[in-house]
Amino acid sequence: MTAGAVFLRAAANAGYYGMMTQLFGAQVRGGESAALVQVSTEPIEAQPDRYDLFVALDWDKVEQFAAEIPLDEASVIVADPEAGAVPAGIAKSKGRVVSLKMSDPDAIRLERGLYGKRVNMFAAGAVCALIGVDAKHVQAAIENIFEGKGAELIAANVKGAVAGAAAAPGLTLNFRLDQATLAARWLISGNQALALGALRAGVRFVGCYPITPATDLVEWLAPHLKKLGGRLVLGEDELAAINLALGASYAGTPAMTVTSGPGFSLMVETLGLAVAAEIPMVLIDVMRAGPSTGIASKTEQSDVNLAIYGAHGDAPRVVLAPISVADCINTAEYAVYVAESLQLPVIVLSDQSLGQATTVIDPSSERPKPLKRRTNGVAADKPFKRYAIGPDPITPMPLPGTPGREWVAEGLTHSEAGLPASGAGVHVAQINKRAKKVQRFDPGKYWGESWGEGDIAVLAFGSTIGPARAAARRLAAAGHPIRVIALRVLSPLPMAALARALDGVHRIIVVEQNHGAQLYHHLIGQKAIPPSAESVARPGPLPYRPSEIASYVV
Amino acid sequence: MSDAATKPVHDQALCVFAAKDFASGAHPVWCPGCGDYGVLAGLERALATLGKPPHEVVLVSGIGCSSRLPGYMSTYGFHGVHGRALPVATGIKLVRPELEVIAVGGDGDGYSIGGNHFIHACRRNADILYVVMDNRVYGMTKGQPSPTTEPDWDSDIAPGGIGLRPFNPLAIAIASGANYVARGFSGDPDGLANLIVDGIRWPGFAFIEVLSPCITFRPEQSEWKKVVRPTSLTIEQDRAAATAWCSATTASAWVSCTVATARRPRRHCSRKSRLPISNANS
Repeated sequence: MTAGAVFLRAAANAGYYGMMTQLFGAQVRGGESAALVQVSTEPIEAQPDRYDLFVALDWDKVEQFAAEIPLDEASVIVADPEAGAVPAGIAKSKGRVVSLKMSDPDAIRLERGLYGKRVNMFAAGAVCALIGVDAKHVQAAIENIFEGKGAELIAANVKGAVAGAAAAPGLTLNFRLDQATLAARWLISGNQALALGALRAGVRFVGCYPITPATDLVEWLAPHLKKLGGRLVLGEDELAAINLALGASYAGTPAMTVTSGPGFSLMVETLGLAVAAEIPMVLIDVMRAGPSTGIASKTEQSDVNLAIYGAHGDAPRVVLAPISVADCINTAEYAVYVAESLQLPVIVLSDQSLGQATTVIDPSSERPKPLKRRTNGVAADKPFKRYAIGPDPITPMPLPGTPGREWVAEGLTHSEAGLPASGAGVHVAQINKRAKKVQRFDPGKYWGESWGEGDIAVLAFGSTIGPARAAARRLAAAGHPIRVIALRVLSPLPMAALARALDGVHRIIVVEQNHGAQLYHHLIGQKAIPPSAESVARPGPLPYRPSEIASYVV
Repeated sequence: MSDAATKPVHDQALCVFAAKDFASGAHPVWCPGCGDYGVLAGLERALATLGKPPHEVVLVSGIGCSSRLPGYMSTYGFHGVHGRALPVATGIKLVRPELEVIAVGGDGDGYSIGGNHFIHACRRNADILYVVMDNRVYGMTKGQPSPTTEPDWDSDIAPGGIGLRPFNPLAIAIASGANYVARGFSGDPDGLANLIVDGIRWPGFAFIEVLSPCITFRPEQSEWKKVVRPTSLTIEQDRAAATAWCSATTASAWVSCTVATARRPRRHCSRKSRLPISNANS
């Protein structure tokens, strides 16, 4: 894993775009793993159809990853002959096997450092040299990744990488990339990008509970939040996590909770409360394969129904999905503004594939316009009418501590003053009030994105957008231009914007990564697309690859 | 003890608020004779004594008869979902430490569905007060046994009794690290107000278990007023009782018991209670 990180960072230092995803076995710590790294002179948003180079540090349990590491006859498999024969699951790709002695199995740890036989750094150094990344970038990457671990360790790792680079020419392989263009870019994962966006928007309280693959989001966020004077509280469970956040938000601090499917299921109770009591909050769901505990470390887009419809009763909310790793920043920031201004929960549906993909991005200077919560209650009726029915469904929610505006946040059906009530009149009036907030929500240009021309449109969200766009580029190059429409606002559906994006399209293909075609049925149910629209829906954990989408379209 | 928290609280000359300033005027859903009226009165008197204006107080509750209380007071309030009052209250207090945050609820809300939050709120020790109105029954759903119900109490849902050992909230609170642990009685609103004032003034998590009879589903609890009365002794004055209680507990619990009892300025307890603390005094 460290070898992959060094390779990616060195390539990024040299000016290349890149993306790394990680595969782990079932072990808690250590054990088998694989780093899948792509580097290019062009931005990368999807996992590739195939890999050019496979470097085996050892063959231990490697076959479990075979389906996730597509190789073919043109792939090169570099392996240490002392590691033994290439396992059948890898050999069946018919990739060319090249021997490279990477380590002395009898060497003690000290010797490995001293003699440059630190096998993972050796491999990273060799691969960097093969694509033409200068040694100084590799050294800088190692210094960055091992920062704080001591000069001795860094020196030993650099030595390993140098030895690897020295061995690379002997392989007589040509993977050299074109010259890269240097620019100020960021190396960031989707999880980090969501955290950054939330902090930019002013989130200063996070209630959370550990869950893969969302934990690294809050781990990255925690020290930054602390520096900004915010607070992160590790709840005793997800019920506590979301209620902690809701309490903080009620008290006036923009707040969020971060989870994945199993935690989201527990939070649904309080999601309904946030709707009923009209308290802003952001819930980030980094989706993983479900149902139940599913596959903790692998991706799927199967929480769409839960996000849009989860909760008993009529519980309108806003559901957003980031369009790319880079867009995670703006979508998270926008989510906070929407929650604060509409006084309701906003769910951000990310997924493991976006969240844990470390990617080189071009940072955007464009940011969503801040929207604030209305706190200025006028005309102090006694009692204060927090849930007043009037022309504007968004009514002021004064902060506790404001004299003369005391009100009770109420999850029961309530009167305008927030007192429990059970009459038909108040019930319907408050249901309508909350529904109106969502009906009137206009995301403007934040509804989504659309690229390309043609009368075929692929409609996608989240991590399926990247492979759809890669497929579209390939099809366009082959003379079959198509449109890719990316939805940022999944609910309420941006009907007008979507209709404009679909204007002139005669074939609509909705691509999503779940078995039940959840987004497709949502679109059909809301009459956003005609019944003739096609659905491409399959579960995870394998990512969509561009070829899979391209071959469906034509 | 010379701490401010133990000073007499009824210094009316200093009070700028009266108890009625904390009443919202809404009519409670509670049955006539419900113990929760006494708790409401105790809270209003305590807040008047403290002199905190209503807008600087937030009452947080879950679901149940007693959890309706925030609507009956003129303060800010948060009536959330069943069992989750404590995390909401903690979230409020952490971002707005200047507010007086008080969580209230019943035994089902706090000890059953919210039991995990109760333990961890004690551990977390945020500076909030938690008042539980314990009537040993689920009243709003019309009479099911709660975690504090006696094992042989007969009900429709558990004929012949639930057969379980009652939950011991005071022992759990002490073992979990609450800073202030006390027990009061709804039939003594003044005494309860004193406990509430102490609990609010005391730093960290303060927990007051209030015996609050449900005369509708547990009519036998109307007898509590005959058997529950304030003790004349504080634990500081009754070394023997304190020692007896501590030695009756396990070695590992000893330290926290000592701390908690030493910190308790005043307490009321039931002679009939099974709690070790009252056994030591009966």
